[in-house]
Amino acid sequence: MDRLSSTFSALADPTRRAILARLALGETSVNELAAPFEMSLPAVSKHLKVLEGAGLITRGRNAQWRPCKLEAAPLKEAANWIDFYRKFWEASFDRLDAYLERLQSGDAAPDGPKAPKKKGRKNGCK
Amino acid sequence: MAANEITAQEFTISRTFNAPRDIVWRAWTEREALAKWWGPKGCVIEVEELDVRAGGTFHYSMEMQEGCKWWGVFHYEDVVKPERIVFVNSFSDEAGDIARAPFSESWPREIRNVVTFHDEGGKTRIELRGRPIRATAEECAFFEGMFGSMQQGFGGTFDQLDDYLATQK
Repeated sequence: MDRLSSTFSALADPTRRAILARLALGETSVNELAAPFEMSLPAVSKHLKVLEGAGLITRGRNAQWRPCKLEAAPLKEAANWIDFYRKFWEASFDRLDAYLERLQSGDAAPDGPKAPKKKGRKNGCK
Repeated sequence: MAANEITAQEFTISRTFNAPRDIVWRAWTEREALAKWWGPKGCVIEVEELDVRAGGTFHYSMEMQEGCKWWGVFHYEDVVKPERIVFVNSFSDEAGDIARAPFSESWPREIRNVVTFHDEGGKTRIELRGRPIRATAEECAFFEGMFGSMQQGFGGTFDQLDDYLATQK
């Protein structure tokens, strides 16, 4: 999955947005992060993994408490609807470009592997 | 309403595609084509409904990653083949009713886009201008909205976040 999609998905969850808001005040441990959320540590860790995967946070290497730190750059990118919307269209235009090229070379096969059709969770992101 | 529209910033993007205008037009107006290019790389689009004419709707689902499916709509306001399409783009629910963005309370609910197709001798230049409509001032500021609701709980302030981000540049 590309960066834009992972950023979108990571931000789609209110708990993850709250975690980012907390981290904006400074780096902190998982225990401290979990305190206001009434959530188990594994549940918080899962959210942190998603945020880390999207490049929105980094974790310290110190095995004792591995502090979480907000990464400002990708968050700044996502900070303004115009920037975000532009990325959305740029990404779409890249695909349109590739689609038109395939179409005119006579090969209009679908791009890339299709995700398996499965009816699962609706309107949400885990 | 007029005052609100003045506060909304305009978004523009332009690109030249290496294909004749009628082919590019079809890519914007045919079901199979739209499903192949609309949305970021890696997302899977399914077209629920497509009726490209004034008053018509494009209703689609977007699977951004496994288990993460969002819906969206275009409501077409003006369609002049092969030159111009005006549509209002929104997130929606499964039924096609306009909904909040899944990732933000303050993403504009409705963005009106004007797309023009310019014939440039076998190539086609697309110009797109987008602007939130019926948006509140709050909605126009995605950033503030995204964190605004979180502030009380943590005793922080948006200013602090702003300062912090400024130091990270």
